[in-house]
Amino acid sequence: MASRNQGSAPRALVVEDIKIDCVILMHMLHKLNCEATAVENGKEAVDLFIEGKTFDIIFLHKDMPIMSGPEAVVKIRAMGATAVKIVGVSADFGGREAFMQAGADVFVPKPVKPETL
Amino acid sequence: MEYSNLQRQAASLKKSLFDQGYLDEQFCQIEYLQDEASPNFTEEVVSLFFENSTRLMTNIEQAMEKNPRDFSRWDVNMQQLKGSCSSIGASRMKNECTSFRNICGDENAEGCMRSFQNLKREHGVLRQKLESYFQVLRQAGPAVTAARPRGM
Repeated sequence: MASRNQGSAPRALVVEDIKIDCVILMHMLHKLNCEATAVENGKEAVDLFIEGKTFDIIFLHKDMPIMSGPEAVVKIRAMGATAVKIVGVSADFGGREAFMQAGADVFVPKPVKPETL
Repeated sequence: MEYSNLQRQAASLKKSLFDQGYLDEQFCQIEYLQDEASPNFTEEVVSLFFENSTRLMTNIEQAMEKNPRDFSRWDVNMQQLKGSCSSIGASRMKNECTSFRNICGDENAEGCMRSFQNLKREHGVLRQKLESYFQVLRQAGPAVTAARPRGM
């Protein structure tokens, strides 16, 4: 996983409302020596960017309460966050189109596997 | 000697879970994430799964009682449960969720009721089998590590 911080741990944001999926993905990222933060919906993710937080990579689930993954992607990109790698994650294969149209870089089907990361 | 027997028993239990289709490869992926820093990770994730799945199934049951023929609502809840099942490799439960969703799509209320009862049964059996597996693992101690059952 490429890091934009020379010599420091990659900073990952996990945007996932399903706790079990969040726990698993966070654990995978910790094992990859990422500095990982978790929030529960798209709005909380956008709020972090509004606060000035930066990340190297974001993993977003598609269907979440308050704000969906694709909606959050649109807003994050509109804020000028073009360098951050955005990964859309969903068990719904139709999610690929929604995420890519919103501006995500990659789509990964659930369940996410360690080798995929 | 007893320790080896417990290891063998754990391996046998795990193999039967795979052979009988209760679990799939995704469960191995969870076990591979377990390490010295998080020696109980798999059991913690499974525990989380059963907390979540029990809640979701209660929601589905209530939705079926209070919102008869609201197939869209039933499907949304079942989609979430299916996702959770996929996450830990609960294969038979996942398949029953898929079956339910297909029947839901046909707007067959009675079929949904039957499918849901099957799902409850699968849920109970899986919980029991995994509880037995983890009990033996705990007795066997930390040397029993994640491994794909032979023949898989």
